[in-house]
Amino acid sequence: MANAGGIPGPEQKPEALNPNLDEIEEEEEEDDDVVEEEDDDDLEEDDDAAQPQRKSRVDRPKIENLFRRIRNGPVPLRVHDVIVKGNTKTKDCLIEAELDAIRNATTMQEIIQAANIINYKLRELECFDSVEITLDSGPPELPGTSNVIIQVVETKTPLSGQIGTYTKGEAKSSTVEGSLKYKNGFGYGDLWDASLAYGFDRSAEVSAGVYLPRFKGLVTPMTARVFLQSQDWLKFSSYKEQSLGLSLGLFSIRHHDLVYNLAWRTLTDPSHMSSNTVRRQLGHDFLSSLKYTFKFDKRNSPLRPTRGYAFVSTTQIGGLAPDSRCLRFLRQEFDLRFAVPFGFYRTALNFGISSGVVLPIGRDFLRMSTSLPERFFLGGNLSPICSLGGPSALWGFKTRGLGPAEPRRQVRGDSSDENADASERDFLGGDLAVSAFADLSFDLPLRWFREKGIHGHLFACAGNVAKLTENEYRNFSLPKFLQSTRSSVGAGIVFPTNLFRLEVNYCRILKKSSHDHGKNGIQISLSAPL
Amino acid sequence: MEQVNEREDFTLVTRKPYFGLPTACPICLPVYIYLKFARLPFHLAFNSTYPDSDIIPYVESGTYVACNNENGGVIECLKKDGIVDLDNGYQSVPEWISMKALISSWLEEALIYELWVGSDGNSVRKIYYPDLAWPIGKVLFLQQVRTVKQQLGITKENSDRREEEIYNRASIAYRALSTRLGEESFLFENRPSSVDAILLAHVLVTLHALPETSLLKSKLLEHGNLVRYAEKLKTEFVEAGSSSSIPPFPSDPSSSTPRKGPSHWSSKPKPKPKREKTEEEKTFRRRAKYFLATQLVAIVLFLSVMNIYDISEPELDNEGDIDFD
Repeated sequence: MANAGGIPGPEQKPEALNPNLDEIEEEEEEDDDVVEEEDDDDLEEDDDAAQPQRKSRVDRPKIENLFRRIRNGPVPLRVHDVIVKGNTKTKDCLIEAELDAIRNATTMQEIIQAANIINYKLRELECFDSVEITLDSGPPELPGTSNVIIQVVETKTPLSGQIGTYTKGEAKSSTVEGSLKYKNGFGYGDLWDASLAYGFDRSAEVSAGVYLPRFKGLVTPMTARVFLQSQDWLKFSSYKEQSLGLSLGLFSIRHHDLVYNLAWRTLTDPSHMSSNTVRRQLGHDFLSSLKYTFKFDKRNSPLRPTRGYAFVSTTQIGGLAPDSRCLRFLRQEFDLRFAVPFGFYRTALNFGISSGVVLPIGRDFLRMSTSLPERFFLGGNLSPICSLGGPSALWGFKTRGLGPAEPRRQVRGDSSDENADASERDFLGGDLAVSAFADLSFDLPLRWFREKGIHGHLFACAGNVAKLTENEYRNFSLPKFLQSTRSSVGAGIVFPTNLFRLEVNYCRILKKSSHDHGKNGIQISLSAPL
Repeated sequence: MEQVNEREDFTLVTRKPYFGLPTACPICLPVYIYLKFARLPFHLAFNSTYPDSDIIPYVESGTYVACNNENGGVIECLKKDGIVDLDNGYQSVPEWISMKALISSWLEEALIYELWVGSDGNSVRKIYYPDLAWPIGKVLFLQQVRTVKQQLGITKENSDRREEEIYNRASIAYRALSTRLGEESFLFENRPSSVDAILLAHVLVTLHALPETSLLKSKLLEHGNLVRYAEKLKTEFVEAGSSSSIPPFPSDPSSSTPRKGPSHWSSKPKPKPKREKTEEEKTFRRRAKYFLATQLVAIVLFLSVMNIYDISEPELDNEGDIDFD
């Protein structure tokens, strides 16, 4: 058996084939023209030791000749049969679904490359402890053919747990999550999990889901998730939001993602202090929506991009249900950003613009009101660098700290002074939001900081939120919108970690409205890349 | 005394109208009638998405709010806050207090029983869940039935006994009220009070919202003076000038604009032929949505089929941008 040790191990991404002649064993060319792929380099070394040296003098010229042929051009070889061994639980169809490329290969180079890909894909299923692909000679009566033997070792510990930061299709921000996973329960590469998550937007979630890499022949994986989520906005908007629902990941490939959400959402106000608008919105909603995301991120890093660009477009349509009494709306977000390197001290300029609009669907839709949770809110301890996917973050302003606001309920004994503190107002969000930012990041002079990735940045940002529905569009004008745009500048230090980006900034508000919740001073922001 | 900006209009938020009543909810209607008795100008707005809320009905004016679940209810809040008080002088009258207690306990229990347990539930579905999607309405209805049974102490073992007890008490209450009322216009001193408001609301809901087969309704109909009292006051206070309290459609933004669709409020239910036409429209819209959804799914499938060959293997470029998700 020949061992193409130059081929990268399965724990690495498949790369262009670049065989290394020094590591390749000798083999008889006629009967055993074989290339073997191992996932354990130690086994390769053991094979080296076991090879009888008496063969080396006889086979060496043949091996050299073989690899000269490989280097010089394609070596015709096709696959006669693919044999799968070791899968007692995993269904054959799951493995065979990945074999089209190798079955159609016509040269040895293509076969080796396809074998790399299959190895990677099978290991990606997380069902196997090891995957070994061997190319053996084909039947003697069919010259120029080979048999592919795929030997898998199924995982003995299907149950695992982990903690990390994630984003999911239905989540509006990233979350810190602890989960238990059960792998390959039914042999279809299915991955079951139960998780508890806490989001950076003050949300808590209990959910359970399943991931199916191959569902009824679909080429993209499918996910299904049942969740119970609650978000506490009492401090900012005097309501709590609870959702019980089902999320289906229908379609997820490189740049495209399609998710269907079905949820029963309830808004409550345990404090009984909400403003009139929030009080009118309390109650139950039935949400049936389709969300399509197109994401094109060519930045070199989501935590500290210094080069590249990114574009995200998210479209969400609500009301896709036979019952006309569900929430009907159309929500569109855009996000475009660039990172330009300057070439010294890893200095780079990041700048971008985000916008979003949400409108109800129906006759006289501009008379209707949009649901509070669907509206846009700006502000919070998030960094615009990481918040890719619509307007949300604005340095210097507190969570939901700007935009239309309404006085809360006054009870007996409270002051009814019109100049009430901003904390006694409910921020209602808006139907239209636009934000923009510019961020100049640079390495700090000390080497220790550079080694840890800690760097400094100067930033400026601006944003605004406006209401269009309930006939407010009549009062909307672009000059007025631009004139009332809030803005801030600042500087800070960034501490990137494996899970999130921590920023300690000094922010100075340049322009804000009288009721906005933002102030000059030190602000800490914590965000995970979306 | 609560400081209320008297220049701000009052808005009463209730559940939606039905059965020819400005609001068919037996908890909201007394407040509506009370404000009508007091001839206090107010706007009427509706919340149709929170049937299990205990704050509805509520009266708001600027930042002032009087909720149902505070300080004994909206009527008591309005009295305490000095906005409107029709019970001046009655607080120390024992008969007034006992009549109020009778209506608020025995008759209220009887009506709740009849609406949620004693009938098929069609009435409450129309009152509380008309604008909620079917799954939500169904679950909330079942939850509320269970809550009502717990509240009334009804179990499988004692259901018959409790039913008989509830109806007997209702009969006694109707007899007492009918005797007290006689042929007068109001229960006490020929002027309206909160007791008249709650009694009138009870009688109107019983007469209009309960089905013809309702036992409670038949017991009420035995007292003709109560029925005449209710119809007379309904004509005089509830229906007269009702259009002025309904927010004009569609230009008034201060009204409770529903999230799910344009408002089609009226103080009277739509005549039957027009309702049928609305049903046809709903069917047509439902079918149109099916068609659009099918088209959307077809487009998505088409795009996915088109892109199958593009995504059959991961890209093997050296920039390491293979998607690990």
